[in-house]
Amino acid sequence: MTKHKILIIDDDASITRGVRRNLEATGAYDVRQENHARVAVQTAREFMPDLILLDVMMPEMDGGAVAARLREDPLVRDIPIIFLTAIVSNEETHGSEAYIGDEEFLAKPVDLNILIRVIEGHLEG
Amino acid sequence: MVLVVAVFDYFTGIEVSVTLLYLIPICWCAWFAGRGAGVFIAAVSAGAWLGAEWFERWSIIQPWVIFWNTLMMGSIFVVVAILLATLKATQANLEATVARRTTKLVAEVTVRRRTEGKLRLANTELQRMQMQLIEAAKMEAVGRMAAGVAHEVKNPLMTLGMGVDYILQHPISDADDASLLHDMKHAVLRGTKIINLMLDFSKPRPLQPAPEDLNSIVENALGLVRHQLLKHRIEVVRQLQAGLPMLSLDHTHMEHVLVNLFTNAAHAMSDGGTLTVRSSLQAATDASIALDPQVILEVEDTGPGIPQEQLPNIFEPFYTTKPPGQGTGLGLAIVHRIIQIHGGSITLGNRPEGGARATLTFNLQPKPHP
Repeated sequence: MTKHKILIIDDDASITRGVRRNLEATGAYDVRQENHARVAVQTAREFMPDLILLDVMMPEMDGGAVAARLREDPLVRDIPIIFLTAIVSNEETHGSEAYIGDEEFLAKPVDLNILIRVIEGHLEG
Repeated sequence: MVLVVAVFDYFTGIEVSVTLLYLIPICWCAWFAGRGAGVFIAAVSAGAWLGAEWFERWSIIQPWVIFWNTLMMGSIFVVVAILLATLKATQANLEATVARRTTKLVAEVTVRRRTEGKLRLANTELQRMQMQLIEAAKMEAVGRMAAGVAHEVKNPLMTLGMGVDYILQHPISDADDASLLHDMKHAVLRGTKIINLMLDFSKPRPLQPAPEDLNSIVENALGLVRHQLLKHRIEVVRQLQAGLPMLSLDHTHMEHVLVNLFTNAAHAMSDGGTLTVRSSLQAATDASIALDPQVILEVEDTGPGIPQEQLPNIFEPFYTTKPPGQGTGLGLAIVHRIIQIHGGSITLGNRPEGGARATLTFNLQPKPHP
């Protein structure tokens, strides 16, 4: 069975590690973590994930800027991105995923089951 | 009457003087019919007096003396009539002046009361705006803090949550270990809930007002807490006034408010009690000027009530009367904020017969809160 490739970009290594270990434990995903926003596009080009989980607030470069660079790159521009953010509340995300503009957001801390459901939704869609 | 007096005068003879009796019709006419009538009756009386004198005394007194006496008496009658009529006119003028000044005074008092009412309203509005400014400044500070805290706390919470989820995916043989992990998971969820409440409190979702029937929101909210009320054996008494005007409300926000109040009431009556929900349309309390009526919603419980010293702080964020770990201290603060942004007001107090009462007031024309 081919594993789906997921790239998680977050400056907090404990979060990327936690997400990676949980997703890998399902046996369905091949996960790579990237903790430096500046090299995130390069990592994406090398790894060519099926989906990117992208933190919004990062010290080197925020998630919006990373997403803009990803979408300027013809090689990775079509990879779906789900943003992870700590600056939204349950009200704004209705407890799970939400869209702000065309972007899909998940409120931190993300529930593992919701994360897997949203990822599956994208990959199956 | 003059004729009667004249006849009486004639028959009583010269020994008895009844001249003063002529003054009765003269005074009566001068007082009630005015100066002209008074003088006329005075002249008639003088004539009658002359007749009586003539028939009584023509044989003993010279005619010119009788005429002279008549002239004198007539003059007195006329003077009395004029004086009395003048007195009456002066009194009437005085009464008119008093009445005119009273009317003017009443008008001035009415204007002053109306102005006072307007001033009182303006003062209330000023206080409301002042409170809003203080509240807005406080909210801005809390909002900044909440956003900062949210970022700093939510990331570690996610690390913890992911860690616990990962371990829970593996078989755990020791029951204590499993309990510990579930406790950790619960703690992460609770921490998340508090952080999210803080964010909601600092920047609540924008209102989506629509014409709503308050009574049906009450019914919806009661339905949502039905199990909780049943669990605590709480009887619900509905005193909802039918035909209330529609209010401009955000259904979800208002449902949240009522669920919060009902839940608090249920917690206050853990051994059973009565929850009374009363809605009514009432005239505004300021009687000096016309104000639109208001819709009042009261939520009463039969619990122990709220200690008096806690009432001033009850809507402050992070103020809780519940045991440590059971309340976030944000429930009533959010309720207060939601009612405020609806342009309404909420007060919490104790009923004289025991238990607490929350009173929500909504204007028919809501004043939007910034």
